[in-house]
Amino acid sequence: MDATQLLKGVLDVAVLAVVDGEDGYGYDVVRRLRAGGLQEVGDASVYGTLRRLYSAGALTSYVVPSDEGPHRKYYGITPQGRLMLEDQRKVWADFAITMNRLLQEVGAA
Amino acid sequence: MTTSTIAPQITAFATAVRTALADLTDEERDDLTEGLEADLAEAYAEDLTNTLPDPVEYATELRLAAGLPVREEKRESLLAALDQGWKRTREDLVNVIRRNPALAAAWGFLDSLRPMWWVMRAWVASWGLSAFFGSEAGFLPTSGLWWVVLAVAVTISVQWGRGRWGFRGLPVIVMIGNVIAAALVLPAVAIANDWQRNVEYAYYDNGPGDLTGVYLNGEQITNIFPYDREGKLLQDVRLFDQDGKPLATAVQGADGCIDPDCNEVGLWVPSVNENGVTAFNGYPMRMAAEGEKPQDRKPPFETVPPLVGKVAKDNQ
Repeated sequence: MDATQLLKGVLDVAVLAVVDGEDGYGYDVVRRLRAGGLQEVGDASVYGTLRRLYSAGALTSYVVPSDEGPHRKYYGITPQGRLMLEDQRKVWADFAITMNRLLQEVGAA
Repeated sequence: MTTSTIAPQITAFATAVRTALADLTDEERDDLTEGLEADLAEAYAEDLTNTLPDPVEYATELRLAAGLPVREEKRESLLAALDQGWKRTREDLVNVIRRNPALAAAWGFLDSLRPMWWVMRAWVASWGLSAFFGSEAGFLPTSGLWWVVLAVAVTISVQWGRGRWGFRGLPVIVMIGNVIAAALVLPAVAIANDWQRNVEYAYYDNGPGDLTGVYLNGEQITNIFPYDREGKLLQDVRLFDQDGKPLATAVQGADGCIDPDCNEVGLWVPSVNENGVTAFNGYPMRMAAEGEKPQDRKPPFETVPPLVGKVAKDNQ
């Protein structure tokens, strides 16, 4: 099984969790996800996800101008995004427990 | 927005991504790609071995992750459609070759020769361009400018061959260019070869055509320094051969080296007789650099040992 396939389902909650810790711009979020162990995450997928979460009202965004280069678009979490994160955390935790149990039982049988 | 610190290939890549998202509203597109250059620049500054992905695929990934509709095939430009078609044909071809061991071995061998082709097509391009301007002659460039053109063409061709400096639609341009270059290679080589031979003939024609000159052991003498009985250098001595023909080492307009390293070239300056006729047999000849006064040539000896008389016996 390919971890990138699994990642598609959980990228939203992963991105929300990262931004919840601290506001970040696109590549900064990619870097933090990779540092967190999601090495395979594609940067375009992350940028697209940020945009979709923003449209859904889970994130706010603001532009920070830079003297040295093009400006950066930062994303921060909204109260709605925090609710979404909490909800998905529970879903993931339940799902992970279910899957672990299932796999262990099948493996033991 | 300042883009001065962004590498041009990143700017080009971001532009290609935006082009691939052209069917979205301005707002959607800006939302998706705002800060793209900064993000890419940071990503590629961090890992220089990174290569930029295909901008169209990148745009599709962005679009899918953002939950936006994927662009319909029919809205693609002709160039992009050709690009896609060429890509698929190539993939099919590669699969066919892989399945056949003999073809695969032959392909592997030809594949190793690809860099040669990159140089060859660059030569065809620069040669063709110089031919267009009428500056071609033989296989090699005729001047520094055309050497530069050749060098630039080789650089671009090799970089494209290595998959660098790409942009959207480039594969199609390269494909068309390859076909044209392949078609022109033989004619260009044939014409260049003709030129080369003509140039050689021209040298043969010009070489012995002018029979003036004084030779010593097959080497042309450029100047003569006469000394008198006391061993002092003489000026304006006129020399003739046994038939009364002037011993002329140079003719009108002939040039030579002013300095031993031949950094500067000057014209031989003839003498004039009282009838106003120029004489190229007055020695030592003087030389003038362009626009300057004639100057004496440095004699091989200031003086030579004086002569004391004739030998009593003959040579035998």
